[in-house]
Amino acid sequence: MSAVVSPIRDPLITGHKDYHQITEDICAPSERTPSVAWVVSFLIAVSVLAVGVFCILWTIWFGIGTWNLNRTIGWGWDITNFVWWIGIGHAGTLISAILLLFRQKWRTGVNRAAEAMTIFAVLCAALFPGIHVGRMWVVFFFFPYPNTRGPLWVNFNSPLLWDLFAISTYFTVSLLFWYTGLVPDFATLRDRATGLRKRFYNFLSFGWTGAAKHWQRFESLSLVLAGIATPLVLSVHTIVSFDFATSVIPGWHTTIFPPYFVAGAIFSGFAMVLTLMIITRKVLKLEDYITVEHIDSMNKVILLTGTIVGVAYLTELFIAWYSGYIYEQYAFLNRVKGVYWWAYVGMMSCNVLSPQIFWFRKFRRNIALTFFMSIFVNIGMWFERFVIIPTTLARDYLPSSWSYYVPTWVEIGIFIGTLGIFFTLYLIFTRVAPVVAIAEVKSILKTSGDQYAGEHAKHAHKPHSHEEESVAH
Amino acid sequence: MNQFTFPSRARVFLMVCMAIGLVCLGITYVTDDALHTRFWSNLLHNSVFFTGIAFLALFFLCANVIAFSGWYTVFKRLWEAYAQFLIVGLVLLLVIVAGLWMHAHHLYHWADADAVAADEILQHKSAFLNPLNYTLFTVIIVGLWIFFARKIRSISLEEENVDKFDFSVHKRKLRIWAAAFLPIAGFSSAAMVWLWVMSVDAHWYSTLFAWYATISWFVTMLCITVLTLIYLKGKGYFTEVTSDHFHDLGKYIFGFSVFWTYLWFSQYMLIWYGNVGEETIYFKQRLQDYPVLFYANLAINFVLPFFVLMRNDTKRKAGSLTVITIVLILGHWLDYFLMLKPGILHTAHEVLGHDAAHHAADHAHGAAEHAHHASHMVAGFTLPGFLEIGTFIGFAGLFAFFFLRQLTKAPLVSYRDPYIDESLHHHVV
Repeated sequence: MSAVVSPIRDPLITGHKDYHQITEDICAPSERTPSVAWVVSFLIAVSVLAVGVFCILWTIWFGIGTWNLNRTIGWGWDITNFVWWIGIGHAGTLISAILLLFRQKWRTGVNRAAEAMTIFAVLCAALFPGIHVGRMWVVFFFFPYPNTRGPLWVNFNSPLLWDLFAISTYFTVSLLFWYTGLVPDFATLRDRATGLRKRFYNFLSFGWTGAAKHWQRFESLSLVLAGIATPLVLSVHTIVSFDFATSVIPGWHTTIFPPYFVAGAIFSGFAMVLTLMIITRKVLKLEDYITVEHIDSMNKVILLTGTIVGVAYLTELFIAWYSGYIYEQYAFLNRVKGVYWWAYVGMMSCNVLSPQIFWFRKFRRNIALTFFMSIFVNIGMWFERFVIIPTTLARDYLPSSWSYYVPTWVEIGIFIGTLGIFFTLYLIFTRVAPVVAIAEVKSILKTSGDQYAGEHAKHAHKPHSHEEESVAH
Repeated sequence: MNQFTFPSRARVFLMVCMAIGLVCLGITYVTDDALHTRFWSNLLHNSVFFTGIAFLALFFLCANVIAFSGWYTVFKRLWEAYAQFLIVGLVLLLVIVAGLWMHAHHLYHWADADAVAADEILQHKSAFLNPLNYTLFTVIIVGLWIFFARKIRSISLEEENVDKFDFSVHKRKLRIWAAAFLPIAGFSSAAMVWLWVMSVDAHWYSTLFAWYATISWFVTMLCITVLTLIYLKGKGYFTEVTSDHFHDLGKYIFGFSVFWTYLWFSQYMLIWYGNVGEETIYFKQRLQDYPVLFYANLAINFVLPFFVLMRNDTKRKAGSLTVITIVLILGHWLDYFLMLKPGILHTAHEVLGHDAAHHAADHAHGAAEHAHHASHMVAGFTLPGFLEIGTFIGFAGLFAFFFLRQLTKAPLVSYRDPYIDESLHHHVV
């Protein structure tokens, strides 16, 4: 990371912080008694979670028949939600791994929460295969272990099995990555705590003392994990897309699916990071660490990935026509003008059209608008999966089996329940761990703090030519 | 030395390269079959390859401007110079277009009225695949790219004259024009890949194809950047470019070689798994009649860079970088060869087969007959021959000659770019 920072860059830490203040500010939320807002939010989240648990138990007790899946539409809200959550789980590892490799300093403000969000989203996603197979008590059949059920079990040719490996690998590496980053910060909390709290953080921080050797190993491990995690960012949603694209169902069997699913996943992941960050920075008073500059950068990623997804949608439409294959053509006509046309409209308007406002800096830096857009994008990405799954299945080769599908209250309840799980975990996280990576933010203070960079920096605009290197290293 | 002067020895050398190319093209034309298939396909192959490289230089430059990237600033003139080659690319492609209208070549199955009349699929596609569309898309889209290449270049040069802490040109002009180019490039490049490359297999289609072909260009562009920097440093220029810059370029080459493989695999695996005849024909043909190229493509463009560039030191040393980038440029050139030649040869067979009586004695027809037997080689198609390599040397010479001339027109390092200090102090490790 170059120590020289161009004067054109805006600061990433505002409020003239020093190292101690950073520690104080970021540790504070986990050290004071929970605010009323937190308690109320937590109660709501847990109640919603309870609804989800009830609906899951209902499903297990009475069977999958409590859902409205039918012979034609065998995948409905379950797989839609599964893919949606997996997609959301992509931003964290992208931020922590790929942006680390690209030496993006703004990642330090958001990586911790984004990684936490990733883990919780993957947990929510992993729930669905567990339920939708119908017999949750034999869910261990997923795993390849010596068994008497014959050579086809498990089927290594099935992308559904690859999915199991991809997601469990992704979850493991993301968790390791997240926890590695947490160790020095847990140690900071430990050093400030007393009594039981101190013992708790002492246990979590693995005896971290902040020795030079610790930091050296920490850096090496981060880089190695980033290297491992980078292909994982691509592989997980690629394999999710294989679940569809390896089939020969018109609308599913298309080669652009892998990269386009990955772009869509990053798109929805960043939207969820924004939703959470905008609330978090406000409630926990972290506006100096998660600045408008961070929001601006994330909105750019949203614009980029939203437009990539747009290119992919149009490519699919064009090639469907170009192929001259009537079933492929019909599949897309059906998406645009069929019974579920509204889902297509929702997808196009939320994913491709509306993010285009982020071409304008003014809109990228408008926090209220960004918050609204971040939710809008996730609605759009949910619709995308709905368009791909039930819309496509509703019209198959045999008109006699054409069908329509609306979810039952059980399916809706499970989906809402996962939101409850997600927010419950996130709220606990904000109490237990520093929401912003203390050590990492400190590492950029001297280059990106507002007393060192940007308009108000002490030495800014002091003219010097490139020959005289007056900038401190 | 911030002002590049084109050494006369290099000038002569590149002119000799171009002469070799011309001679090879001439020999190809004379010794070719009745349709001059080999000549035209070599022309298309190299024109598309180098035009795409110039386009990707512009695209990546704009992407870096928008991403507020700093490290590349010291050598950004290179990418500006590569991008200017789009003008030459347009001229070269207009030769193909002229050939299309004059029925001088049969590169595209869809351009033969007889073939279209007898083919329902081609009739359906003729709304997109027709000479007028081909011409308009080529002229308008490449014209648009040229416009942006010149615009970005002129704004970048305008920065030379501003005060060091006056960012208005960068903020108000460069970023806006660079941002405007990205979506235009993103949407239009796919259409060009479909028309120029994918439509040689006029029946076949793949949604991923455009992105796959684009990444192939991109890796080549990065390799050419590395080679140019090594050459210019050797001549005493770009002393500011350090092994840290090479390290990052090496990382890009490594990363995007893996990404290229990812796209290759996604396309191949999904088509193989789906096992739909209309799609698998593309790979079946290549596996059966072009096995050497098919596997060499993967070995050169994935296995080699993956193992060579995995280490830190190989990304920082001129020796290892020179070897791997030359190999990769050839590898991606072969990739385009493999994308284009089988479809073109197949079209030629069809055309020649139609009036078999006419060309019964023609040796190309003989080759056409034999090509149906898997093991038979067709020079210039199954594998590139000396003529193809010579033609490539000619085009590479043209590309180098053109961009080196562009480099003489402005200071090599832009000391007025707001990010220049970051680039001058770039440290990776």
